[in-house]
Amino acid sequence: MTDSPTIVVDNVSKWFGSVVALSDVSCSVGPGMTALLGPNGAGKSTLLRVLCGLTPPSKGAVTILGHGPRDHLAVAAHVGLVPQQEALFDPLRAVEFVALAAELNRMPSPGQAAVDALELVDLDPDDSRPVSTYSKGMRQRVKVAQALVHNPSVVLLDEPLEGLDPRQRLRMITLFRRLADQGRTVLVSSHILDEVERFGSRVLVIAQGRLAAEGDFHEIRELMDDRPHRLRVGTDLPRVVAAGVLASGAATGAWVQGADSIVVDTVDVGLFRRSIASVARDGGARLTSVVPMDDDLESVFRYLVGRR
Amino acid sequence: MSAIFRLVLRTQFTKGRAAALGSVAIVGVLLAVAVRRLDSFTRPDHAYDLVQAYGLSLLVPLTSLVFAAAALGDPAEDGTLVYLWRRPLPRWQLALASFGAALCISVPFGVVPTALAAAVTGSGRGIVVGAALASSVAVVAYSGLFLALGLVVRRALIWGLAYVLIWEGFVARSGTGPARLSVLVYARSLLASRAGHKAPALSASMPVSLIVPLVVGLAAVALTAWLLRRLDVR
Repeated sequence: MTDSPTIVVDNVSKWFGSVVALSDVSCSVGPGMTALLGPNGAGKSTLLRVLCGLTPPSKGAVTILGHGPRDHLAVAAHVGLVPQQEALFDPLRAVEFVALAAELNRMPSPGQAAVDALELVDLDPDDSRPVSTYSKGMRQRVKVAQALVHNPSVVLLDEPLEGLDPRQRLRMITLFRRLADQGRTVLVSSHILDEVERFGSRVLVIAQGRLAAEGDFHEIRELMDDRPHRLRVGTDLPRVVAAGVLASGAATGAWVQGADSIVVDTVDVGLFRRSIASVARDGGARLTSVVPMDDDLESVFRYLVGRR
Repeated sequence: MSAIFRLVLRTQFTKGRAAALGSVAIVGVLLAVAVRRLDSFTRPDHAYDLVQAYGLSLLVPLTSLVFAAAALGDPAEDGTLVYLWRRPLPRWQLALASFGAALCISVPFGVVPTALAAAVTGSGRGIVVGAALASSVAVVAYSGLFLALGLVVRRALIWGLAYVLIWEGFVARSGTGPARLSVLVYARSLLASRAGHKAPALSASMPVSLIVPLVVGLAAVALTAWLLRRLDVR
């Protein structure tokens, strides 16, 4: 993938006043699909904005197709961007909005290009309504159409599936994969793990402004699943259960929390869940609950950042 | 460039703005009708006062402010500027097209009513030519300045009003230095010169009054292009 990168991010940091949005991010992206995964506020949109030249990096450098996106206007002709913000030019019809993008990209037949792009995203080019009347999902598809209207070789999409219903999501993912199969560089950001899984792609994980992991999705998924987990176990005999789970090898650590619960660390949740019932039964304890304390995506990302 | 020109016209020329500024323009013409009824001895002075106090001091700057500040300020604010900025288009074209569109709307709502009001007063050809010339030159300067202002500050309307009402209304009257930074002073000088009216206390010569606002307007467009190059686009 990195043999012929179209996007190179070299030690990029970006700060807004005292807020560090990106910290020493280095990566490269080549043709095909790459997902940019991270929780909300992780720095995904900032990275995409830097990639497009919308904002300069505070430190480091970015090149797209060998040029700085901010200094070389010609780069813009090869890049399609779906920005995160919802606002469109409200008085315009979808076909006018997309034709405007085509015209500004100096397409020879902007009207026809707009029709083709709208059909690509399942929107009616003859719709006479202004985009201000469109649903969120329709507006999202208009944004995708304007990004693709000039056949860019690099497509950057910031949360493009937001607001789409499941059927539209599927069609859009199929479209993105088709673009990637055509040899274009497609970089899609998302904060939803399952969504990224469906892209079936290489993944860049970004958290707290740092590149937390990169590589094949399945490798990263395994990394996430293999991380230590922390669970809270409710029981009437916390000391007995804590000793039992440690002795069984199902937990790497156990702490009594008051009179009715313990907190345990385990690297194998499956083994722990299988063992806990027998440990309780053997110790004569009653279990009231087993609750994961760190199963949210945020903590997964925190773990990935911590291990780098 | 024409695509941006058309877009700015379409997005900025809203019914609400047209109705509000059209009403202000109509009031000016109605005041001119009242002036016309005055006796022929005092009418020229009142006509001059009407053009400079209502047309040049209020209608022209207000119209330019509303449309020029919004031409790039609104898209920058709501995030749609990204759809123009992210194109292989020199920034000066974006600035110039927006400026042209703002001018195109400001002329019928600012210059034409001002000249029309001057004509309706029936005070001679000189004041009509003076009103048309002064408001045309002023609209170029204001449109350029407010176009740049829209990119630089949020709530450009308030900052622009502060310039028009406070700086031009009070501060610029205090001395030659501040007066040099007032578009109104040049416009008023042009009007007085063409209308054959006594020159205002703080005034500039005819060539200076003509050239300075035009240069300011075009320099402001160049500044806007420079600002666009350095802009942090949302």
